[in-house]
Amino acid sequence: MKFGKIIYITVVTLIVATSCTEKVDIQLDESYTRLVVDGSITSDTLAHTIRLTTTTSYYYNQPAPGVSGALVSITDGTTVFPLTETSPGIYQTADTVAGSAGHTYTLNITLKQAIGGNTDYKATSYLNHVSSLDSVALKFQPQWGDKGFYEVKVYVQEPPTVDYYRFMIYKNDGLLTDTITEWFVTDDKFFNGSYTNGAAVGYLNQSNPSEQLDQGDVVTVEVDNIGKDYCNFIWNTQSEIRGANPLFSGPPANVTGNISNGAIGYFAAYSCTRSKRSVR
Amino acid sequence: MNPSDLKKFTISGTIKNSANGELLIGATIYCPEVQSGTVSNYYGFYSISLPQGEYTIRYSYVGFADVEKKVLLQSNQKLDISLQPLEEQLDEVVITGKRGDENVKATEMSVVKLDSKTINKIPALLGETDIIKAIQLLPGVQSTSEGSTGFSVRGGSPDQNLIILDEATVYNASHLIGFFSIFNNDAIKDVALYKGDIPTAYGGRLSSLLDVRMKDGNNLKMSATGGIGTISSRLLLEGPLLRNKSSYLISGRRTYADLFLPLAKNEDLRDNKLYFYDLNARIAHTLNDRNRIYFSAYMGRDIFKNKYAEMGFGNRMASLRWNHLFSQKIFLNTTASYTSYIYNVGTPPGEASSFIWKSSMDDLSVRSDFTIYPNPKNTIRFGASSTLHNFFPGITKGQGNESLLIEFKLPRQYALEHAAYLSNEQKISPLLTIKYGVRFSAFQNIGPGTYYTYDDLHNPVDSITYRTPKIFHTWFGFEPRVSLVWILSEQSSLKGSYSHTVQYLTLAQNSTAGTPLDVWFPASPNVKPQAAEQIAAGYFRNFSKNQYETSVEAYYKKISHVIDFKDHAMLLLNEYLEGELRFGSGYAYGLEFMVRKNSGRLSGWISYTWSRSWRTIQDINNGKKYPAPYDKPHSVAVVVNYSLTPRIEASANWVYSTGLPVTFPTGRAVIGGAIVPVYSDRNAYRMPDYHRLDCAVTFKGKEKPDKKWHHEFNLSVYNAYARKNAWSINFVQDKSDPNVTFAVKTYLFSVIPAITYNFNF
Repeated sequence: MKFGKIIYITVVTLIVATSCTEKVDIQLDESYTRLVVDGSITSDTLAHTIRLTTTTSYYYNQPAPGVSGALVSITDGTTVFPLTETSPGIYQTADTVAGSAGHTYTLNITLKQAIGGNTDYKATSYLNHVSSLDSVALKFQPQWGDKGFYEVKVYVQEPPTVDYYRFMIYKNDGLLTDTITEWFVTDDKFFNGSYTNGAAVGYLNQSNPSEQLDQGDVVTVEVDNIGKDYCNFIWNTQSEIRGANPLFSGPPANVTGNISNGAIGYFAAYSCTRSKRSVR
Repeated sequence: MNPSDLKKFTISGTIKNSANGELLIGATIYCPEVQSGTVSNYYGFYSISLPQGEYTIRYSYVGFADVEKKVLLQSNQKLDISLQPLEEQLDEVVITGKRGDENVKATEMSVVKLDSKTINKIPALLGETDIIKAIQLLPGVQSTSEGSTGFSVRGGSPDQNLIILDEATVYNASHLIGFFSIFNNDAIKDVALYKGDIPTAYGGRLSSLLDVRMKDGNNLKMSATGGIGTISSRLLLEGPLLRNKSSYLISGRRTYADLFLPLAKNEDLRDNKLYFYDLNARIAHTLNDRNRIYFSAYMGRDIFKNKYAEMGFGNRMASLRWNHLFSQKIFLNTTASYTSYIYNVGTPPGEASSFIWKSSMDDLSVRSDFTIYPNPKNTIRFGASSTLHNFFPGITKGQGNESLLIEFKLPRQYALEHAAYLSNEQKISPLLTIKYGVRFSAFQNIGPGTYYTYDDLHNPVDSITYRTPKIFHTWFGFEPRVSLVWILSEQSSLKGSYSHTVQYLTLAQNSTAGTPLDVWFPASPNVKPQAAEQIAAGYFRNFSKNQYETSVEAYYKKISHVIDFKDHAMLLLNEYLEGELRFGSGYAYGLEFMVRKNSGRLSGWISYTWSRSWRTIQDINNGKKYPAPYDKPHSVAVVVNYSLTPRIEASANWVYSTGLPVTFPTGRAVIGGAIVPVYSDRNAYRMPDYHRLDCAVTFKGKEKPDKKWHHEFNLSVYNAYARKNAWSINFVQDKSDPNVTFAVKTYLFSVIPAITYNFNF
């Protein structure tokens, strides 16, 4: 839970009222190429995906180049799940694999050609348990924005352990929160052990066609117990993408992930649970 | 008794402005027969001891007519002097209140003084004259961000400036997220900024002392000063309580942008609140020849409220001072002061996430400062101070029955800060004066409180809770300071200084401009106090009977135990704040040039600063050296004021500086479906250069000898040529083609005109 965000929004609204923004040309240097790892293993039974790409110059203006021909596997210490490359840079497990809570998973990558001076990369992640949601509710707020917003609310007894959550929202099985900037992540510092009692975890803008809800539409909320490190990684990545201003932002800095040998990105293990609500 | 003492007698007294009874600070008392003199102190008091004989004593203060007294000195004498302001006689002469050759002759260096009249003439954002914006135009002083009242002195951070208002510490000097300062210029008498050679009486900050003094209040007649401006209105009342004995002053300012909101078309805006106010009050009372007391108080607050959130923050300060003369040679000032800074933030009840969040800090302080004038060659100052700091870093809890938020409270922290100092200003010869002294300081963490211990990776491993008010840790500081002036001629001098300063409190501010939510934290068993050593040398030369002052100063500053914050640090509501700190060292150097013209139809100054500031901090930038956040190599300020006619004055200022250092991406990666920047080394790039011109014209009402009502209109333009100075530069993804990234800049202000009407009677 970041209270700063509310203040941020309030103050930035004030500033934006008087400020202007325009495109500028800034000359940038290029630094060396690094491996980028982005993927996870979850408690769902499905083909788990790891994406391998490389960094590019900032103004590259094309999709990130995939890294092909690598040997990729995930292990829980006893079983090894090999990953096969299904398209350039995308590696997947068999669709029968499911992670289980209480295990530590290790990702091993061996590249065909060295990137950033290394061919071998490794990451480990612990898979936490997650409590099942009691229910999900939708509350329409007609006065917000042009056509109103739906608040997506969750009801669950939060356990007394220290936990970190990510909330993902689906409309009719299509993931709405499909980029990292849209993920709602929070720690339980300010509500540890409480009943969440309808805390809002997402807002669906009814002026946006993809988020607009009609009668019969089904909204699904997925809750992931992601652990402290991944939560920090997401927060910090979100803040770097959002950009800096002189009031609230510390100096920009690369986000530390959990991949060895200076690679960028994160290999996450987490358990998830879901609950649905249809629009009436 | 020593026979030589028998022949010496003391002349002492106070120096006042005859027009309103205000005490004059820094007026010159000079005796041509012995080619020596002194200067009146903060309370207008002076004392000079001379052998028995006949003397001429000349009292002078720029902007006032000189007074000469013939004295037959056969016993101790008390001479209270009233000087008459020249402005009443010569309206077209523009004057700043300082003695003519102080620039050259005073031992202090790296000091700039401005009085409220000078500050009033400088064009300001939205016509709100502001002392902090004015000092940012001086060499060696930089603003931290566009329009911000945060300032950096000689490469230091904004929290390294000790700001005091009538001896009470100010912890947050900003209104409206930093665009205005809490100082209402109407109530201010003068301001002095010490950039290096900080008097031994003061400490606790590394970079500077900003000493702000309120007006005494007119003790001869009742008068009012006020103004109606574009965003605020002001009113000050002052007058005698007992004629010649005591005076009062009360002053208020309130902004009223929100008073027009009920007229807004958008219904959402009508209930919004957005304003700030300041209240200043002061009472000065003369009990008798030997005792005077002063009471000063300040209160100010910012209020912001809309449908979704509310926020309030502000300072409260009060000080009670007692001047006592033990004899004509021994002056004592004792001050008791209180200061507090409080903020609260919240969202309305009714939601699961409704909350309130509060934080505060306050200080209780006492100090005694002695000045002894044993003979014209020595001025001895000594004293001691003690402060009790009480930090309340924050509490949050749910608001309303629906809220799921539990109470989260960071424990209070208490500390004591003590200091004792001794210094002497000694005239070795008529041409050489040395001021030397030392300050001893101590900082004690006291219970009750909880303190954590950390491992090498800055993770908390253990905690200790103290339940009683017991001292559990002490830091000591030894702070020697020396300065000298060597007079080369009537018009020129060389000065040098060395100063050591120690800072026990740090502001947890990670951004360049900061916000009202930033909290101060104390040195502790985990946090070493920061310490700075500075050497400076300067050449001072005045021309044309002190009409023109010029100076060149060079400095080198070394800082140890510099505190910075780890990447992506969490500084608010974090019980493990100390785990977010990283330590290292820093150094800064620079050259400062200034040409100032104080009198005549054209007045003003030009300053140029070349400076660098560097830091090396563990874990930051891989431990490599990087430019400090406020490193601006080149900086220029031109401030001019011109009397077109006796009734029309024009003024302008132009500033130029290298852009602040900044970290930009040198690559990108795709993570979670979005483009994430991959960065250069810390501060490897620079923001675009900053420059801006502001202009103002003041039309004064017709003056007649018996007219009591004086008024003027002031028209000002901020950023006259509409330079789009970058406030921030960000790198964003194109909405239509997410593979395309580009840079955007945000600028805050285009041309901003303002009109202000001022009056006094």
